[in-house]
Amino acid sequence: MIVLGIETSCDETSAALVAGGRTILSSIIATQLDLLRKYGGVVPEIAARRHTELIGYVIKEALDAAGKTLADVEAVAVTSRQGLIGCLLVGVAAAKSISYSRKVPLIGVHHIEGHIFANRLSNPRMPVPHVCLTVSGGHTMLLYVPDSSRYELLGTTLDDAAGEAFDKIAKFLGLDFPGGPVIDKLSRQGDHEAFSFPRPMIKSKTLDFSFSGLKTSVINAFKDRIARHEELPLADIAASFQEAVVDVLVTKTVRAAADRGVSTVSVTGGVSANSRLREVFRATCRRKGLEVFFPDLSLCTDNAAMIAAAGYARIKLGEISDLRLNVFPNAPLEV
Amino acid sequence: MLGIDTSGYANAIGVVNGGRILADHTFKASTDSLEQIVANIDSTLNDAGLTLEDVQGIGVGLGPGSWTGIRVGVTVGKILAFSTEKPVCGVSTLEALARGARTRSSLICAIVSAGTREAVYAGFYRPEGGNIARTGEYYFGDVRGLSKLITEPVVIVGDGAKSYLRIISQEAGILKADCKAIEAAPSGSVIAGMAEERLERDESDDALSLTPLYLKESTARAFVNKYRNSTGVKG
Repeated sequence: MIVLGIETSCDETSAALVAGGRTILSSIIATQLDLLRKYGGVVPEIAARRHTELIGYVIKEALDAAGKTLADVEAVAVTSRQGLIGCLLVGVAAAKSISYSRKVPLIGVHHIEGHIFANRLSNPRMPVPHVCLTVSGGHTMLLYVPDSSRYELLGTTLDDAAGEAFDKIAKFLGLDFPGGPVIDKLSRQGDHEAFSFPRPMIKSKTLDFSFSGLKTSVINAFKDRIARHEELPLADIAASFQEAVVDVLVTKTVRAAADRGVSTVSVTGGVSANSRLREVFRATCRRKGLEVFFPDLSLCTDNAAMIAAAGYARIKLGEISDLRLNVFPNAPLEV
Repeated sequence: MLGIDTSGYANAIGVVNGGRILADHTFKASTDSLEQIVANIDSTLNDAGLTLEDVQGIGVGLGPGSWTGIRVGVTVGKILAFSTEKPVCGVSTLEALARGARTRSSLICAIVSAGTREAVYAGFYRPEGGNIARTGEYYFGDVRGLSKLITEPVVIVGDGAKSYLRIISQEAGILKADCKAIEAAPSGSVIAGMAEERLERDESDDALSLTPLYLKESTARAFVNKYRNSTGVKG
């Protein structure tokens, strides 16, 4: 079954064709990086306008790149839950139109379930049950995954998402947007032990996270020097901040795996592209006898291939959305 | 010909054939136009005894109006056209409203509320050989500012035309008796009819590049642009 995936939940207009929930025939992502840099973040109305301009082109490009036409598409999967409302509805309006006119099934997908499936696309043999850390600019969640398409929430962030903390620290340090890749790159030239930043909730009994205090602590440590226009050891600050985030994420995920008695860890979402996070996860998991999986770098950030894969799994479970599918910007992941 | 307009917190859907209205419905869509849009298109086509396959072209109201509304209508219009390989014609919602006054001889001013109090989108049209032609630029601003542009008797068309006329005749110093107010909301069949006329003239739009007629940049962009201009920061 060839599924057309559509994803417009935030700032990426994306369409993809995926065969059998597993083989990516095409994956087109039109980023709004130019707008993000210009405005220092996502402006919902501007992003929604860009989606409306691009959606048709992106779908056509996904078909052309796969050498297919809409006649080959057997189902349409679209992100309908969690994201910016004005952005989500562009993708859902497009998906409904194709489903109605081509008489193929429509399935609305939760954005986070898409991220979970990004790792299955990259690692088809990744076993269940496992523990999954999904972490991006919009969310930070620890899940127990007993089998395909079922989730148990173990912990979540109580304030900022980890990726959001990267963005805010990058902004504070006068670095480019988005902060994740910039801090990752800069940190390679820095000493991650130069500064000792707090590891919020690392010892707490719950598996929840908090990154707002870490962010404040970094800002408080340097704001006076920034106000005096003093030169700062940016690479050392970036590396030390990143180390604190990585430390918390790895420690809690590994503890969750031990709690649940599983030997497999899945790390996904935009922050899973972070090179230091991957390095520490690999080293720690090797030491603990755990196997860790990451998506291909192209599948870490928002993309429609993961939505197509998640939608395919839902359809295989007999689920289907009707043409009255609406968008739910704050819907939690069904667990 | 199928016509869709979602600019006014409603799904206005109509079907015409050779200028004859086969079906015309306005479905209320209080918070957004998305949920029922496809079901409403389907039931309107059924009402006309048709299916989507029978449709020869799609007309879509580009706005101005509710930003969320016009995004839904334009996306559905363009993707349906792309998916069925049928032609699509975008139509100004203001022009569609002004068409309701085309038999009059005076200046026509079509008005759509811009959501906030007193703010409106407007367009001026003159009757021309049984049809109408736009004169001047589209307007966005408050009703009083609009009044300053009016120096002759006028026909006001739109939702709330009577109350707009009251303000305009007062502000512009024109006798209300010389003017006329026509209460009207966007109609799917008018959009379909105008699209049909364009198709007959061998005109249509490129589905993939079709975009709404916002007539106003987003508040955030306006703010950033203003700030950028005042400080000389280059963007």
